Amino acid sequence: MKTIIRKELLDHLRSVQFAVLLAASIVLFAANGLVFVQHYARLRASYQKAVAENDQQPSTMMTRPYRAPSSLLFMAEGGDKSSPKGYWLGPKLTLSPMPAGTANFKMPDIPELDWAFIIKIIFSLYVILLGFEAVSGEKERGTLRLVLSNPVGRVKLLTGKYLAIISSAAIPLLAGLLISLIVIGVFLPAVLGPQNLARIVFFFILALAYLSLFAFLSLLFSALIPRSSLVLLVLLAFWIFFAFFIPDTSSIAAQKFSKVPSEYEMAKLVGPTIQGEVWKRIAKIQDRIQKGELKTEQAIREEADRAYEEGQVSVRKLYDDYDNAMQERAALAQRISRASPAALFQYAAEAVSETGPTAESRFLRDVRNYSRTYDNYILKKVGKVVGTSPWGFSTGATLNGKYINLQSPFPQEYAGDKSDFPKFSESRASLLDGLHNGLWDIAGLLVWNILLAGLAFSAFLRTDVR
Amino acid sequence: MLKTIIKREILEYLKSAKFLIGLGITLALAVGSTVINVQDYKGRLQDYQAAGQEMKSDRFYQHLYRQPQVLSTLIQGKDRRLGNSITVTYLAIPSTTSGYMGEGTSQHHRLVSGFAAVDFAFIVRVVLSLMVVFIAYNAVSEEKSSGTLKLTLSNPMPRDQLLLGKFLGGWFVIMGSLAVAALASLILVLSHSFIAFASGEWTRFLAFIGVSVLYLTVFYTISLFVSVLVNRPSISLMILLQAWVFLIVIYPNLGIIAAENLFKLPSQEQLAQQKVAAFQPYEAEQKKVQEAFSQGVQKGEVSKELSLRNIDLWAKRADLEHQVDEEFGRKLTAQTNLARAISGLSPAVLFDQAAERYGRTGLAEYERFMREVYRYWQQHVERSKLMYTDREAYKKAPAIEFRVPVETTAEAFAATWLAWLLLAFFSLAFFALGYTAFLKKDVR
Repeated sequence: MKTIIRKELLDHLRSVQFAVLLAASIVLFAANGLVFVQHYARLRASYQKAVAENDQQPSTMMTRPYRAPSSLLFMAEGGDKSSPKGYWLGPKLTLSPMPAGTANFKMPDIPELDWAFIIKIIFSLYVILLGFEAVSGEKERGTLRLVLSNPVGRVKLLTGKYLAIISSAAIPLLAGLLISLIVIGVFLPAVLGPQNLARIVFFFILALAYLSLFAFLSLLFSALIPRSSLVLLVLLAFWIFFAFFIPDTSSIAAQKFSKVPSEYEMAKLVGPTIQGEVWKRIAKIQDRIQKGELKTEQAIREEADRAYEEGQVSVRKLYDDYDNAMQERAALAQRISRASPAALFQYAAEAVSETGPTAESRFLRDVRNYSRTYDNYILKKVGKVVGTSPWGFSTGATLNGKYINLQSPFPQEYAGDKSDFPKFSESRASLLDGLHNGLWDIAGLLVWNILLAGLAFSAFLRTDVR
Repeated sequence: MLKTIIKREILEYLKSAKFLIGLGITLALAVGSTVINVQDYKGRLQDYQAAGQEMKSDRFYQHLYRQPQVLSTLIQGKDRRLGNSITVTYLAIPSTTSGYMGEGTSQHHRLVSGFAAVDFAFIVRVVLSLMVVFIAYNAVSEEKSSGTLKLTLSNPMPRDQLLLGKFLGGWFVIMGSLAVAALASLILVLSHSFIAFASGEWTRFLAFIGVSVLYLTVFYTISLFVSVLVNRPSISLMILLQAWVFLIVIYPNLGIIAAENLFKLPSQEQLAQQKVAAFQPYEAEQKKVQEAFSQGVQKGEVSKELSLRNIDLWAKRADLEHQVDEEFGRKLTAQTNLARAISGLSPAVLFDQAAERYGRTGLAEYERFMREVYRYWQQHVERSKLMYTDREAYKKAPAIEFRVPVETTAEAFAATWLAWLLLAFFSLAFFALGYTAFLKKDVR
């Protein structure tokens, strides 16, 4: 067994593929480290500045909870560049996202060069290149017959080949990861705390599990198809399908399959809802003035404030529904893309690094929780909580010949001491939470491995080696 | 003689399993992606048409909608990802488009907006280029290693003729596959009643196919060159696949990273400061006018001059802020162009750039739209002023027409000639290299 692994490994180490993979790995991971160091320093500085500014100007009208940049963006960026860096939070949970800021939307849409991408796309391809000849190549050269004429079991031979492929992919991977970590460690030593190191180790295990699946896939087709060039062609087709086709079409497919109304259909409801809910109530007030039910200006203003407030509840709900619908669609897209092991690996990597959609919704949850504290504070200071509205309404009514200007209520600034202003703080998920979130993805990777391993071994045991 | 070689080569390829598998994969992906993209386009078109009819602008908020492009069914570009609506008032011109619901929280979700596109352009860029590598990697090396090269050349056959025959034979097979895939997609697209190509779109589609031909030829000549140079087919395949990964995946990515680090953009905070600074000279006056105006409103009487000055100042502010946004937009474009220039030696980048231009799904089209939005806004401000100067005229004023002028094909060609030229140059250069290498080759 050892001899087989040794022989196979030496074969790989001498090959062109290995040399190129090692070189590519070093260049890519070094670039990844350098880019992250600069990017993270920038993000960190602007985050701290923004938080300090917000702390200096506590306001009962609007506050700004910011998202701390993740220190593991180099592992799995998870769409961080295009997600909001914080929210504008008004009383009564009026949320609007800040622009993402760092992304140049004019750039070609090329994915971020993070660890997950390098492994997902480049390393998986190289594992295929290392493995496609494993059986078919030896058969073509006729050495397979010779090897098996020795007292070597087929299972042992294939296991040896598999381990050799994995270790020759793991060596450049490890070299690359170390280079990246050295670059990061030199410039930002704080990033490599024990917490993060544990995550990095887990990430490495995940990467091996992902690459192992491609090794089994290569062995399977190598045993099934006798000609090496055909094996490679079929494997590359799988690679394109897994790495590009399924993940990239999932969002459009989700749009098609989900029962969620289109963005436009939701938008269409906004106008009529405002008409129906707000103006109907205002018209009723004018009616009541006519009938003489509302006699003082004070009473009219109070009624109008209530009408604006109540009327907007359903408009707000519409926007919430829209957000939920979009979240649902995103979740469906994610579920569809899970047909591809590359996507499983991506999501598992994001779960381990605490980045991506899950981390973003956790932040949003924190903001929602904080909103309650914020509202309580406003209630304590100002006496009432008035929601900010994306729409300002203004109309008028005439009472006994006097024109009264009616405007939708607006939150008030508390003029007194605000030193007890509640600070926003983010919850941090532990590695265990991350693993819990990524449980299905990790399990999925394992299932793929077991399935393909079973198929590869049974195919090889039946191969006609002559 | 040449004809015999070409015929033999073509037949050889058509019989081969790698061609059949490659063509099968290409066709399956082309059909699958086109079906999905057509459905997507249908939804977007319906929304666009309904929005134009149902979501009428009032006199204050002006809604403008961006039409989805027909060719986005084949070349998606950025068409799906750049929002589809913009709302201007005389108080503000947004710097980017957004969705119909405005900038909602979920808009940012990458799983909603979709990261990359699988469309016909992707099939050409990734799948067909890979097939080209597979077709050509052993064109010469296989014959050499199997010894038939020696035999063939022992006939009265000049070497240049043999290579030319091989080149053309494989080339016809590749272009045949491209044509089959393109036709399949085209039929799928045009079989829908809601899709019709205007004459300009036909020219654009043909130009896109032309660029695809050149792009695939570059990969073909590179493959042929390596096949001549390297004697063992398996090694030549390895080298070519590495080159392919580098040119399509790694190099464009590194170009963007380099551009992002070489060309720094101002931060959002700096932009906000610039906007404040731009309006500084009018700040005091606006405050005064604003106070007088709201006092007037409470009293129930506002003078005509005051109202006019009020609207004027607001419009001035919007205009100045828009200019800051424009300046920032130009910087974004400059950074993008730098990234493209750095990675301009990758055929994939050249191809993408030209394809987006022909599909009208790239940034050029978006910028045309935004220019038109600005022109529209200026007219809207003028019309809004009528409210205070001539109420009758204001009531009668017709809706301002919003029509984004269509880019002529000549303009599209003018913007992409360099891509054509570079792709042609790479093809010729690698062909020449392969040619001379073959003439000098030891065929034993």
